[in-house]
Amino acid sequence: MTQIEREAWAILLILLLAAAVAYAHVTTTTEEYSRYNTDWNGTSALPAEEIRDLRNLDTAATLLILAPDRPFTAEEVGYLQTFLDAGGRVIVADEEGTANSLLADLGSTMRVRPQNLASLERDRADPGLFTVSVVGNTSLFAGVGTVRVNRPAAVTGGEPLLETAILTWEDGDGDGRISGDEVFGTAVICAAEGNLTVLGDESLFINAMLAENPQFIENIQPIRVDSIHSRTGTANPIINTRLWIQETPPAAAAAAALAILPVAWHFGRKRDD
Amino acid sequence: MNRQVSHAVLAAVAILVLVLIGVQAVDPVLYAAKNISTAAHADPATIQKRSPGDAASLVPLMDELLGETGTLALTIKLQDYESAERDLARYNELSRRFDRLVVTLDVSGTDIGEFQQNNRQNQDALAALLNDTRRFDALQRLEIEVRGDDEQHMTVIYEGEALRQKMRETFSAYARREAATVRIAEHYEINATPYQESVDHFAEVADAANGWQEEINGGGTGTGGTGSGGTVQSPLVIAVTPVEGSYGDVLLIGGIHAAGKSGAPVEIYVDSRLAATVALDDDRTYVHSYRVGRILAGPHLAYATAGTIYSNVAAFEVLPKNTSITLSLAEVNGTAVACTGNLTADDGRPVTRAPVLIRVDGETLVGAETDGNGTYRADILLPAGEHALRAEFHAAGYPLNASESPTETVILRGEGLSPFPFAAAIAAAAGTGWYLRRRRSEESTPAAEPEAAPSPEVARPTPQVSIAGLPPREAATVLFCTLRARLGLPETKTPRDCARIAPAYAGFFERYERIRYAGETPSEEELTDMERIALGGDADRA
Repeated sequence: MTQIEREAWAILLILLLAAAVAYAHVTTTTEEYSRYNTDWNGTSALPAEEIRDLRNLDTAATLLILAPDRPFTAEEVGYLQTFLDAGGRVIVADEEGTANSLLADLGSTMRVRPQNLASLERDRADPGLFTVSVVGNTSLFAGVGTVRVNRPAAVTGGEPLLETAILTWEDGDGDGRISGDEVFGTAVICAAEGNLTVLGDESLFINAMLAENPQFIENIQPIRVDSIHSRTGTANPIINTRLWIQETPPAAAAAAALAILPVAWHFGRKRDD
Repeated sequence: MNRQVSHAVLAAVAILVLVLIGVQAVDPVLYAAKNISTAAHADPATIQKRSPGDAASLVPLMDELLGETGTLALTIKLQDYESAERDLARYNELSRRFDRLVVTLDVSGTDIGEFQQNNRQNQDALAALLNDTRRFDALQRLEIEVRGDDEQHMTVIYEGEALRQKMRETFSAYARREAATVRIAEHYEINATPYQESVDHFAEVADAANGWQEEINGGGTGTGGTGSGGTVQSPLVIAVTPVEGSYGDVLLIGGIHAAGKSGAPVEIYVDSRLAATVALDDDRTYVHSYRVGRILAGPHLAYATAGTIYSNVAAFEVLPKNTSITLSLAEVNGTAVACTGNLTADDGRPVTRAPVLIRVDGETLVGAETDGNGTYRADILLPAGEHALRAEFHAAGYPLNASESPTETVILRGEGLSPFPFAAAIAAAAGTGWYLRRRRSEESTPAAEPEAAPSPEVARPTPQVSIAGLPPREAATVLFCTLRARLGLPETKTPRDCARIAPAYAGFFERYERIRYAGETPSEEELTDMERIALGGDADRA
């Protein structure tokens, strides 16, 4: 191999490495809850399948609506109602209260009440990172005694499934300690009405929290994540383009042709020579 | 580029990188992720772990405390003093655990703190009830024994009256705390029934004392001094002026002893504890200036004794006061910070000899104590980095409200890199270099040996040896050793080695090799020749 060839191979190798790094960079995001966020606050590691159509949902799977930030149309609410009526299980994980309109449309009395809950029942310095107890009898928490939550909100209405210890308070002033008018009391973090479950802590599904409650994640398998309304679908233009190509056969064919044609042209020219 | 130059440049760059990393290695910021929390959650992997602090045992402990009051009050009522002592000891131990937990969990500002205050007062009240009941029981027996002896009988009646009044006052205070304690218990879903029963038991004990005293005063003995149905009037009278005070105030506790003599000692008790002993004045009065110090806020009782005579019981109230505490931080060195501050009541009085806690980073507690001016100081060792410190006064046992300073922050640089590892590394490098150099020189010695073959001119002085009387083979060995030594060859060298190193004496060494290894015996002539050669007369070497 001549020196020129060696240099060419070296440059090619460097280019491939640079391309791989660039690809990894542009096809990931730092958006919270995004399936394309591989960092601690993404959901890339959540074993779940994304769905973008609420029609004909599989009742064998759990539908997860995670941190919804887009409204549901009446039609979509109808699909969800049908799914619930057919025995499907829906988990709405929200701590900002944006799911309350959906809950109302579904006829549920449960509501998410955003609060800055803190507790002494914890083994971490952060007062918002604490454990709650399973109080309801449900397959969701089968084999689970306590669940570690991460700055959750309270849930009102429904049958309580997860409840904080009595040494919990709403840290209104955010100083991390109980002071002023703050008082200790329990709060419900998760409640259910039939097959509809409302979880006041969407953080349970982020990458950094999956190892904290493995049995719970196991219990709700298989999971389908609604990527239309959930923040899990948050991406960037490059990711969107890639997804569009993957989901659109003509676009995928065009992309494949774009990749193959230069190679074919190169080899064809060599044969001519 | 010259290869050596390029290597030098690479080495310089590597050293530069190592130096840069080394400088940063002591900076904790290097290890701290920037994006570790958002409004919705925190990265648990980056959040410092801490001991759960036994928070789960707080409410059960409150439950146990309330349960213990019921048990203790019942055993007192049943006059089972042995069991009551055990119950009281357990109650005190539980209370101590609870107090520690309240401070550790930093919940003294909540209703749990209020529960703690009430519990402390209940603890004192039940301990007093036990003592008073036991004494009252003894007095009842004594009263029967001394009937007929007016003087002794009156003494018993005076003391009984003092105890009765004390128990009534103690019970009143105990019962006043019931509503607040039950409210808190209900909030935490704690069973308050045993505690409520303890109030009933307490009332029964106090009522029994009333009943006995009324029976005595009702003319049972005919020696009472108050007439039917009234209370006896002891000749020793006590009063507290003013009847209210707060921390640092001086209350005058005094009175008159109508039957006493000038100079007779009078003991003054506050809450059954001896507060002072004073002497009667010429006008049969006595007085003691009582400074309100470490005593719980609320009602308190004072009485006096002069010999066997008991006074009536005087009540006074200690009012709570707010406090304020300051905290100043000064870095002593890279790893220690000096915490100083003052603890004062809201009227500016210093709170002296009081415990102060300094909470570091919301977790660790370091204790200090105020001096006579209310000033405290504590030097705290901390790891490098930013730390938040706050001084707290929990007012345990004081008629003062708890207070805490604003949180102060300090950034410690930490100790510089310790010179010891570097010194050790340099020493190790120097030692390694010395060892390698020495080893190399040793390894090079055999190569130099042929060149160093001794010549007769440089041969060492002839050693003095004698082979007379030795067996021939041994004599040959002695001669071999002699020659080898004379030529300066190491003792480790074999005859063959010696022949190779000193070829001029090869004949001698080869002959000896045969004697030594082939088992030949040298003749007298051969030995004579060998001796001559070995001793230096080797002009005709073998």
